[in-house]
Amino acid sequence: MSRWVSNTTKKRFWFLTRLTLLLLALIITLLPVYWLVNTSLKSPVEVFASPPTLFPQNPMLGNYVSLFYRRRLGDYLLNSLIIVGTAVLLSLSVGSLAAYSLARFGKSRLQQKINFWVLAPRMIPPVALVVPLFLILQRLGLINKHLGLILVYTAFNLPFVVWMMRSFFQEIPVDLEEAAMVDGASRLRSFKDIALPLAAPGLAATSIFSLIITYNEFFFALILTSTPAAATLPVGTAALIGKTQTLYGEMAAAGVVAAVPLVIFALLVQRHLVRGLTMGAVK
Amino acid sequence: MLPLLLIAPTAIFALAVTVLPLGYTVLASLQEFPLVRPPAFVGLQNYQNLLHDANFRGSLGTTLLFTVSATGIEFVLGLVLALLLKEEFSLQGIIRSTLIIPMVIAPVVVGIIWRLLYNTDAGLFSFVIQSLFGTNLSVLSSTTLALPALILVDIWEWTPFMFLILLAGIQSLPQEPFEAARVDGASPWNIFLHLTLPMLRPVIAVALLIRALDAFTVFDQVFVLTQGGPGTATEVATLMIYKTAFRFSQFGYAASMAIFLLVLVAGFSAGVTRAFKERSV
Repeated sequence: MSRWVSNTTKKRFWFLTRLTLLLLALIITLLPVYWLVNTSLKSPVEVFASPPTLFPQNPMLGNYVSLFYRRRLGDYLLNSLIIVGTAVLLSLSVGSLAAYSLARFGKSRLQQKINFWVLAPRMIPPVALVVPLFLILQRLGLINKHLGLILVYTAFNLPFVVWMMRSFFQEIPVDLEEAAMVDGASRLRSFKDIALPLAAPGLAATSIFSLIITYNEFFFALILTSTPAAATLPVGTAALIGKTQTLYGEMAAAGVVAAVPLVIFALLVQRHLVRGLTMGAVK
Repeated sequence: MLPLLLIAPTAIFALAVTVLPLGYTVLASLQEFPLVRPPAFVGLQNYQNLLHDANFRGSLGTTLLFTVSATGIEFVLGLVLALLLKEEFSLQGIIRSTLIIPMVIAPVVVGIIWRLLYNTDAGLFSFVIQSLFGTNLSVLSSTTLALPALILVDIWEWTPFMFLILLAGIQSLPQEPFEAARVDGASPWNIFLHLTLPMLRPVIAVALLIRALDAFTVFDQVFVLTQGGPGTATEVATLMIYKTAFRFSQFGYAASMAIFLLVLVAGFSAGVTRAFKERSV
């Protein structure tokens, strides 16, 4: 009896410890994000209130209005959409072909070598490529142009796309395609009509993942674009800091604009996301 | 023929945007880029300068300190959280959703968030410190505290990654050995030390490798929060290379630093991968 009691106390202790820890982790994670939203709704005066106010006393959208009217945030947003959208589409179409080839004919030794070389670029630190990319794109007149960044992002997405799509194609039984080919379908036809539709969830997961990575990318965007003509949202947001040292409200609002759509999107599709983030180390 | 044809477009992209630039980086590292004249070969001069550059050595040290501290603390925190929360429970969905948030927020925005928290005018973090210790601490302009402040940001951003990857690893372990150990009366500590840890090793290796490589080339948050300052207290390697190339236009010297960094990273990855392979055979 006493043993049973001590077991329940022990269980209760662990339950409480776990709960406390959980709540703590939740608060630590969410508080900074809340602070961003909170600050973005404050007036320029309230931002400097001491002690800081936990809720905006007179919530206002002035910071957002000023961002879009005076700081051309809309331009940066549009650039991001154009560049990210094109790069994701391009890398998905190009990469799926390669992924399919590796999944279906990947047994030969040459192909296995290709397997390695597809993933190797992911290990190269971006900084090792940025000087020549800048010099080359400068010579081609592609600095501060959408196309320059689109090409770079496509190439950097490809390792992920090929690697993820290959594993999705491998999960599709070969028999289906073989049956179709016995009935006279060509390899490309069977790819288009059978493998690709069946890998649709994989395409979705892969595009979500490349979209998030590309949308958030800053290093190349900072070096290869600079003005509202082509610069992406992260660059536009960071530029705000230099100019407006103390306009915390606008800084926060820009942060919200850059982050919130993606956070909502990510929460909707989180299962696919974890697989991509952990690079399939764990399924 | 078809298999190679399908791969060709990907290969062309890789060649044009990865292989070719990499070759150009090597070439540039052997050159000097004067402002008005075309680039000239200087042999190994850049690398020789690199060896005697105290700033670069300092920058590598800063980067290493940042990487080891951040990755190490994130790993320990992530592992403890994963072990405590490994059983299914009702809040798991909420926890998972919440923890994804810091990872999908753009690093630039993460930088902004912490600039708001750290600022001495009315930042929440500074306010709490001031109420607790009575001193108005400007962490980002202190030579001793700026780097720890950046490490804290990294921990906030990436501990969830460690937690999620380790949790998935723990939950996918086979149950039989654990049941057998419990029947034999092994203590939880012994089970952790002799069963969980060894069985989890592949996952741990991958998690540490991915995280360490990312931390080693950190840029965005540092750029937004400190720009490498005060002085060079937080000038991590990537930032130093960026400044050398794009503020001082010393492309050749920057390229030689980049190559040096690449060799370090490649050596480290190969070392970890090999050590892990040999042990698991």
